[in-house]
Amino acid sequence: MTARSKNIKVITGNTAAAYAVLRCRPDVVSAYPITPQSELVEQLAKFHADGLLDCEYVAVEGENSAQNVACAAVMAGGRAFTATSSYGLVYMYDTMLQTSGYRAPLVMVNVNREPPGIHAVYSGQQDMICTRDSGWIQIVVENCQEILDTIIMSYRLAEDYDIQLPVMVNYDGYYLSFLAESVDIPEQEDVDRFLAPLKEQPQRMKLVAGAGTGCGSHGIGMGFVEYRKKHMAAMERSKELWDKIDQDFKNEFGRGYGGQIESYRCDDADIVLVATGSAVGTARTVIDAKREQGIKVGLVKLRFFRPFPVEKLCHILKGKKAIGVLDRSICFGWNCGPVFQEVCALTRHIGIMPMLSFIDGLANMDITKEHISGMVDEIYKASQNKPYQELTWLP
Amino acid sequence: MAEKLNKLPKVTEYFCDEDQFSPGNACCPGCIMELNLRLVSKIMGKDSILLGTPGCSAPTIHGQNDRAWHKHSYYACVMTGVASSATGLARYYKKAGIDATIVCHTGDGCAQDIGIQTISGAAERNENIIYICYDNEGYMNTGVQRSSATPYGAATSTTPVGLKSIGKTTNSKNMPMIMAMHDIPYVATATLSHLEDYAKKLTKAKEMVKQGFVYLHVFCPCTVGWKVKPDSSITVCRAAVQSNYFPLWEVGNGAYRITQPVAKPKPINEMLKLIGKFNHLKDQEISVLQQQSDNRFSILQALCSIRA
Repeated sequence: MTARSKNIKVITGNTAAAYAVLRCRPDVVSAYPITPQSELVEQLAKFHADGLLDCEYVAVEGENSAQNVACAAVMAGGRAFTATSSYGLVYMYDTMLQTSGYRAPLVMVNVNREPPGIHAVYSGQQDMICTRDSGWIQIVVENCQEILDTIIMSYRLAEDYDIQLPVMVNYDGYYLSFLAESVDIPEQEDVDRFLAPLKEQPQRMKLVAGAGTGCGSHGIGMGFVEYRKKHMAAMERSKELWDKIDQDFKNEFGRGYGGQIESYRCDDADIVLVATGSAVGTARTVIDAKREQGIKVGLVKLRFFRPFPVEKLCHILKGKKAIGVLDRSICFGWNCGPVFQEVCALTRHIGIMPMLSFIDGLANMDITKEHISGMVDEIYKASQNKPYQELTWLP
Repeated sequence: MAEKLNKLPKVTEYFCDEDQFSPGNACCPGCIMELNLRLVSKIMGKDSILLGTPGCSAPTIHGQNDRAWHKHSYYACVMTGVASSATGLARYYKKAGIDATIVCHTGDGCAQDIGIQTISGAAERNENIIYICYDNEGYMNTGVQRSSATPYGAATSTTPVGLKSIGKTTNSKNMPMIMAMHDIPYVATATLSHLEDYAKKLTKAKEMVKQGFVYLHVFCPCTVGWKVKPDSSITVCRAAVQSNYFPLWEVGNGAYRITQPVAKPKPINEMLKLIGKFNHLKDQEISVLQQQSDNRFSILQALCSIRA
């Protein structure tokens, strides 16, 4: 660990994200406010106004433009940042597809909130789920420090010459966006050093005036197929690299998050709960309590949602007696949670076992210790070959 | 040699670079959108970056074909994102200290329908970009559907003429005037029958973009969609100017000016006769269109008189 100085501030998740962006020195920030993200773009505007953030700050007229500005700035050779949530995320969807199709290494924050349909200015991960097949790398984080650290790490991943893909960093609206906790803000020179390896890599293609370069020719026939295959391959490569970047970050700053997933008390566990985001902290407390009661339960915190950490999950989940998955969103058409559905898809590698879907925390409904305790009890019941409920809506 | 040069059309004096386009043409016979783009290229220079979107200019700008292309750097956008993508490029180049002329080139469907929010936003932020709208009064590339630029009475595939329909029943948006009301450094209209007028405006645009957003609205008949003879596009352009249906004007820093005043405007019917999409119109409907055209011209004249 080379970065030693501590600069602890009690700040919200949104402010932590703003500090991360400040430290990553973007050339262009395009921003449009939306609850519960607004504080983040306001904070960046303040950094810019105070001369701390030396970038072009584009206060756009909507999220669709926010994504277009950022994508073009990246294709021209710059580092860009944008942030959104919910309605904003789906409003920029056409360009999100362009950004990933162009292999533009953009980093974007999405503060999770219920998307349009039933009007809800409340937390929920359904917005992220709506964009699952957009070709972006999607990461979900648990607390304010992890927000800050993950954004910094995301630039290392996105801009890596072998990856060149956009990264979406997700954190729960309200539960993290407005939660104030102590966050260690790294020094500028340490972040500069952490991101420096990118400069030693070959330069990616960029749009240069007068050079006859272009973005977005029609991908006709085999060119299209080749491009798609390479995109998918880059996404697969990102898994291993993310684990390495996490390790590098730990070496530099003393904080690591396990890479694609964090496994908690899983080694000797009979049953496992898989969860994401801010609910993981609550789940950890419950797991400890259940362990004291003699239930051998473990917890997997999913950090990578796209690409899905298939290998890591299989390694941990194989041989378990029952698995439960907690989703803060729903999967239309499968009558379960989306992450649950994906974990079910692992059975071809890990075999058949009872799998339980729990849908909880929609629209700011608290995911309580009691809820999670009930989930563990149900998973345990299933592991004992007793009748169990496959899908449970909470509360 | 000198004698030979003297015979060159005057518009060539405005050219600052050789033709950046390959021989050949990916457009329909008689299409002048391609002529428009070549003119833009020669005056803006080889270092300008072209932005486009799916539409008639896509084959030329970003290679939706393997026949004719150019040597400019280019950026293909979604239809909602042309002016905003241009913003991203312009802002990054500004931050990086790179000098580049950013030129958007889209049809009216993108500029004044699906992309109007992003143009309006970029204009309000006064971004340093040039936006050229080639107005062919509808979605010609996708099969001649109506847009907000389609005039009253025109037959299109989504405003067909029928027993209960005379074609489009509402007026078009006055897009160049909408852009002028953004109080941006420079707005002008142009067309291909008045090349020198257009060339002057392009030259001015290149200068004025240093101050901020520039919008050029170019009248650009579509031979296929309008049912115009392939050899008559330029004739239609001239008729539109001479009837004040499409007056040529500019506004720079608040001063409005008609750049090609017409001494004795012809009735709009002189132009309509050349265009098949108006063939079905009767006198009453033609007078509606004439009235609308006159109203617009009166507003323009009033604006021009403010500082005259």
